[in-house]
Amino acid sequence: MATASSTSDVPSKQNGGTGTSLDVSVLRELAKKGLVDALNSVNGAKTLVLDPTLAGPLGLVTEVSLLKHHGVDKMFWLESGPLTAATTNIVYLCRPLVKWVKIIADQLKRLAREPSKHTYTLLLVPRMSTLVTRILEEEGVLGDITISSYNLQFIPLADDVVSLELDNAFKDMWVDGDETTIYDSMQALMTLQKLYGTFPRVMGKGDYACRLTSLLTRQAQDVSDSNTNMLNAGSGRLDSLIVIDRGVDMITPLLTQLTYEGLIDELCRIRNSHVEIPVSLLAAPTVPAQQDAAGSSSTTAPPAPGSSLTKEKRKKHHLTTTTDPLLAELRDLNFSSVGRKLNQVARRLDEDYKLRHQAKTVAQLRDFVGKLGGLQSDHQSLRLHTGLSELLVPLTRTEQFNKSLEIQQNLLASYDISAQLTAIEEMIAQGAEMQIVVRLLCLASVTAGGIKLKTLENLRREILQAYGYNLLPLLLSLSSPPLSILVPNPLPPSTLISAAASKYPYTSLRKSLRLLLDDQDSVDDLENDISYVYSGYAPISIRLVQCVAQKGGVLSNPSGDKEKKPKDNADADTGKVQSVSKVQAHPIVGWKGFEDVVASIPGGTTDIVQKVPGGVHGAVPATVPLLKDQPTTTVVFFLGGCTYTEIAALRWVGRQSRGRNFLIATTGIVNGASLVESLASIERASASGQSKDAALL
Amino acid sequence: MAEHPTATWQAMQDGTVFYKRHQLYSIPGKFPPLNDFVIAGCRYGGPIALMRDTTKVIALGTAAPSFSKAQIHVFSSAGDVMLVFSVWDHGKIVRFGWTADERLVVLNEEGVYRLYDLQGEYQQYSLGSDAGELGIIDARIHENGIVALTGSLTLLEIKEWNGGKPLTLANPGLSQPPHSWAVIPPDFTISRHVEVLMSVESSIYSVDNLESVDQQLSRGPFTRMSPSPNGKSLALLTYSGLLWVVSTDFQRSLAEFNTTDAPGAEGEVRQIEWCGNDAVLVTWSSLALLVGPFGDTLQYFYSGPTFAITETDGIRIVGPDSCDFVQKVPASSVSVFRPGSTSPSAILYDAWENFTRRSPKADESIRTIRPELGSAVNECIDAAGREWEPFWQRRLLNAAKFGRAFLDLYDPTDFVQMGQALKVLNAVRFYEIGIPVTYAQYTQVSPSHLINRLTARNLHLLALRISSFLSLKPDAVLKHWACAKIVRSKPTATGSGKDAELDGDDAVCRSIVEKFEKMGDGNASYADIAKRAWEVGRATLATKLLDHEPRASDQVPLLLSMKEDRLALVKAVESGDTDLVYHVLLHLQRRLPLGSFFRLLEEGGNKLAPASKLLQVYAREQNREMLRDFYYSDDRRVESAVLCLDEAFTMMDPSSRIASIKSAQKFFSEDKERGFEAKMMDEYSRLLTTQQQLEKEADGKLSFFGLSVNDTIRTCLVNGMAKRADKLKTDFKVPDKRFWYIKLQALTSVRDFEGLDTFARSKRSPIGYEAFVRHLADKGHMKEAASYVPRCDAHKRVDLYVVCSEWRMAAKECKDRGDKAKLECVSVYATKEVVSEFSHRERVGAGGGFYEIASVPARGLPPAAAPTVSWYTVPRAGIITHCCITDPSVGQVHE
Repeated sequence: MATASSTSDVPSKQNGGTGTSLDVSVLRELAKKGLVDALNSVNGAKTLVLDPTLAGPLGLVTEVSLLKHHGVDKMFWLESGPLTAATTNIVYLCRPLVKWVKIIADQLKRLAREPSKHTYTLLLVPRMSTLVTRILEEEGVLGDITISSYNLQFIPLADDVVSLELDNAFKDMWVDGDETTIYDSMQALMTLQKLYGTFPRVMGKGDYACRLTSLLTRQAQDVSDSNTNMLNAGSGRLDSLIVIDRGVDMITPLLTQLTYEGLIDELCRIRNSHVEIPVSLLAAPTVPAQQDAAGSSSTTAPPAPGSSLTKEKRKKHHLTTTTDPLLAELRDLNFSSVGRKLNQVARRLDEDYKLRHQAKTVAQLRDFVGKLGGLQSDHQSLRLHTGLSELLVPLTRTEQFNKSLEIQQNLLASYDISAQLTAIEEMIAQGAEMQIVVRLLCLASVTAGGIKLKTLENLRREILQAYGYNLLPLLLSLSSPPLSILVPNPLPPSTLISAAASKYPYTSLRKSLRLLLDDQDSVDDLENDISYVYSGYAPISIRLVQCVAQKGGVLSNPSGDKEKKPKDNADADTGKVQSVSKVQAHPIVGWKGFEDVVASIPGGTTDIVQKVPGGVHGAVPATVPLLKDQPTTTVVFFLGGCTYTEIAALRWVGRQSRGRNFLIATTGIVNGASLVESLASIERASASGQSKDAALL
Repeated sequence: MAEHPTATWQAMQDGTVFYKRHQLYSIPGKFPPLNDFVIAGCRYGGPIALMRDTTKVIALGTAAPSFSKAQIHVFSSAGDVMLVFSVWDHGKIVRFGWTADERLVVLNEEGVYRLYDLQGEYQQYSLGSDAGELGIIDARIHENGIVALTGSLTLLEIKEWNGGKPLTLANPGLSQPPHSWAVIPPDFTISRHVEVLMSVESSIYSVDNLESVDQQLSRGPFTRMSPSPNGKSLALLTYSGLLWVVSTDFQRSLAEFNTTDAPGAEGEVRQIEWCGNDAVLVTWSSLALLVGPFGDTLQYFYSGPTFAITETDGIRIVGPDSCDFVQKVPASSVSVFRPGSTSPSAILYDAWENFTRRSPKADESIRTIRPELGSAVNECIDAAGREWEPFWQRRLLNAAKFGRAFLDLYDPTDFVQMGQALKVLNAVRFYEIGIPVTYAQYTQVSPSHLINRLTARNLHLLALRISSFLSLKPDAVLKHWACAKIVRSKPTATGSGKDAELDGDDAVCRSIVEKFEKMGDGNASYADIAKRAWEVGRATLATKLLDHEPRASDQVPLLLSMKEDRLALVKAVESGDTDLVYHVLLHLQRRLPLGSFFRLLEEGGNKLAPASKLLQVYAREQNREMLRDFYYSDDRRVESAVLCLDEAFTMMDPSSRIASIKSAQKFFSEDKERGFEAKMMDEYSRLLTTQQQLEKEADGKLSFFGLSVNDTIRTCLVNGMAKRADKLKTDFKVPDKRFWYIKLQALTSVRDFEGLDTFARSKRSPIGYEAFVRHLADKGHMKEAASYVPRCDAHKRVDLYVVCSEWRMAAKECKDRGDKAKLECVSVYATKEVVSEFSHRERVGAGGGFYEIASVPARGLPPAAAPTVSWYTVPRAGIITHCCITDPSVGQVHE
């Protein structure tokens, strides 16, 4: 098994050397092909009108040049107002939302008045919708437009992360009760099964997760019945699917993420793997032009003109390990170790550069020049990350940031709740960001099982006065089922008994799932448990995954032998991989051993053994001994989104054992702030830019 | 013994290529005289449709009287009448043709087309109202669509047979109908979109949905035009009778032949059709002339008019006495049977014949071809597939079997499959079935297609036997059978009245279910069968059948049309497919009165909750009025209130916004538990009113409307309306702390430091003075910040001075308190701070050499770990004792 040694120049090793054995780039190809097919169904040059929320996801699967290659003449954002199209064909590409359809209908009516004739095609993502047809019919333009679909499903964000990139999945499900996401997720998981084989075992926690698993197994039944040889491709490489719905663990996203990538997301906001950073960080003055192609091909799009008004130009940068090998080493580190790591890389790089002085012969010099390109790209990414860290550091030093961390930690330890509530009130008075305040308040409510009615009303009043009364719907939806993360204690008498019973048992979970790390010794080197991602708190969602996939990890540290670990090992992460012998992953046997704990968490629990075509009928495939040299992959699907910290923690779990890789699938990447914003229906600062011409990213 | 295969061969191109004509069926007198009819033949050995050609005069009495004008007769290739039906009473039939799945498409001049299956059932679609007005003057029907020529000489295209909207192709700008025209189906064009070729004046226009291109030919006009089955070549006939074959991109001229020279050709050319992809058949009333690629010809004489149907590997000719098939002799047959052939397969065949004659030559022959024996066996198997007579098929397979015995390793799959295929082919070629499909065609269209064709002819037993013989799923056959059974069986079987009907239904249902459980593998779609039952008006039977359907999503549409609304909705929700739920919801919303629609959702309780949520999502965007009614009828006060609020936030007009807020407040107040919300809304409307007043006072220079309480106060303070701010504070019971922070921030932002000072002195600060220092320092007003330090707690002063970068004061403070250690700290940090600031500037200036960069992290990126470390020990200790944070640049030195 390859391990990325700290001195290695080869940047290809990711996830600490245990890259998933599944090739997720197939999914990207699938998405690309789907788009090309959809575009080719319309003959000739066409004007593409694009739903701005799709630009990000599409940017991850394709480039503008590909679209141009397939006849896209010009691109526009889908937004209200007239559309000027030079071509006869106009193709709309959007998600089936009422607001988009209304705009389209409006534009169609406008264009109908013009003399030039157009043909219209509407591509709906991911599938056709009766709703859209109905609205177009009501608007009287159904006859003028051809409707078809573009089935965009999982998009690979990294080698081991695939995402549906649905921004509003959480709100749709937990506030609106719209289960479309579940159905779409089911379809996407079916595609995974078609590509990689059937999941022999499907487990889920949470009501929506149960709904998803039952839909999935039923659908799989139908498909396998109707076409037996459909689902057996490459089976045996997946060992199970674990579905965790966001409602099961609301605590984790409410906390501030403390990994490098997580912190970037918290403070700068990563959207579709792209982060906006000052141009100066991306410019490469010392690097010749040839580097541009390799280093930052995805950043060539000009920044939107509107943003140039800000003091420094900001540019979108694609955070990806393919062009930025250093990111793979940094992204999952606790932010406190990032500095050390950067320092180390800088020294390594410096030494590599110094090699040139040792070059005596021409051959040696040629060798050095040959390596120069790699060094320069390393150099460039080091610049970038040093710069990014420098940007983050002042933000982590603000009083607000530290105050909120302190409150979070105290709440997690259930220490003096009322003092924390006072502190929250103080933060409101100081005018802290609304998102932070709401997150803290929800956290207080969930961990303490509710807030005293009087206090709660007072705090809610403070919020409404400080941030505006238009937050009332937000507060209402936070407090009403199925979300119920901001509730009074005791609950009002009218609440259903079932709702009352579903109170979150945080304090007992803290013990049974070992959520807060106990041992003092580990303070200096936190990365020996998943809890390092929150500097001491282990995400419940990942503990649940461990309940299935790494049972030992829940009870104690799998890498517990501390004396084995060299204290001076600067690179805690990779050093451990080498020094601690890995444990062979145990077979998947469901929730066994943790039934009570899991049952105590509100929401249903499922564990289904699927019939694998080609396998022995009736046999439980999961108990087939794992082949040592062939690792199996466990797919973890987060319904309602997951955080970067959860990804980091899962990668950590994956590193700890031999023979099991994780593929993380999610409806989207979330963090506490984005959740609050989507619940409050605050439009994120528009990613679309102001230009009428659309360009992907 | 059947005649030797080569008996029907005829050589062409100096004996290198052979064509053969063999009789498929002998059909004397089965077809009416074909020259009086408009005819359309279906490919792959499919049926032939005839309709009387009304332009021709026929003598009454001589022809069979049944051929009245408006009837279409469908014959099998064996000459059996499969179906007779009359089409429209009005509207002239422009054209008819066959789809890939053997349905007859009939198009009339009003642009209406029907798809008839072989049982006479039809679906009707239209080319749209425009086409109806203009009229359709001609059309070409290919297997997957129609291209119609309208009265205004524009082209319309229909893709697929699902009643889709017609597409307008590019306008060729004709002034009169083309002399002839043809269509290349989308599967065979480069662009994958249909291409139309029209002979206009002396040239040809090729038209697709983008453009119309004049191909700049000069030999036209062309009276006939026929594209080859693979769409690569085009056969053209000029007025002068010259047959000209060109590639469809008009780049290459492939062959020329003067049809007027043909011996025995009399009268007008009837048809120009392709025989496979490499020869063209030209027919006259009693002659069929096969023209090869190099202009060589073969003649076939008939006693009367013929009709030729192009197949992918040959051509079918229906004559007065026989139905023949003409094809190029396949390579494998040539190899085995060509006189004097010395190919391994020919030798193998010869060896086998010797073997059957017990001649020792057999062994000798086998030895000579030993190295090529494998391919010889394969060729014999293939040749068997090409033969029509079972006698020769058997002989060739035997030869293959014989050769196989000499091979050490041989995969018998091909052999077995060929045997199976031939058995099936011979069965369907039987004259009573009448599907003369060749092996090549059979492999092209797949066995399941063949089975579908059999079921379409109601030959269920044969279809079932074949599908089990080929181990295919019998579901499709069973389904078709069940549908046919329902249609045929009469509801009143025994007894009388209602009971009898029920009995009948029960019996039918039982027999269907039994058959399915016995033969199928348990997941046939009952929903489709139930749909059929419903369509023929047997609702009870449909319901019964539907109970057996496992897939919810299949049940829903039928349940809807059966008006089983509740059940349909429940099933849709169960399926998890939100689109299906919307389908039902929108359908019901349109059909039911609003009241009962709501009641249906409300009574559904938990089961229908997802549906009701979806309705809300939809209505919130599209139909608010309905949503309001929905909430109202369901007594959902809170939702009603939120809806009002939602609307209020989008309103620009102050008074209507206030009104909306008030109604929200009213809704909240009607719910006992929403007292808090009601109070808040009350506050909000008060705030809005106050803001209106404020705007009036400010003469419209300031905008207040819609701001939060905080922002309102802030705006007041910033604009010197301190009195109003105070009043707002008391009116809205703003706590002191928050008010102080707002005022602090507001005054700092306008640099009113004097005002701030007076404010700070007005009474003891509820937020302490540290907040002042920090906020001012944060905004860069170091000097002002420092002036508040003396008012803070003594032990914090050093740190606060540090915050303000007042090193000297900090040092002095240390000295005053006699804190030596701290003094040292401060002095070290002071210099360091300056140094690091300096070095930072230096580095930026230096333009980022790598060594400098390397030095940045070396300085030690200040750990978020520092706080991490501390707060994580804090909770357990229970005392807030921050340990000394070691990072200097923070400037916070705690004790």
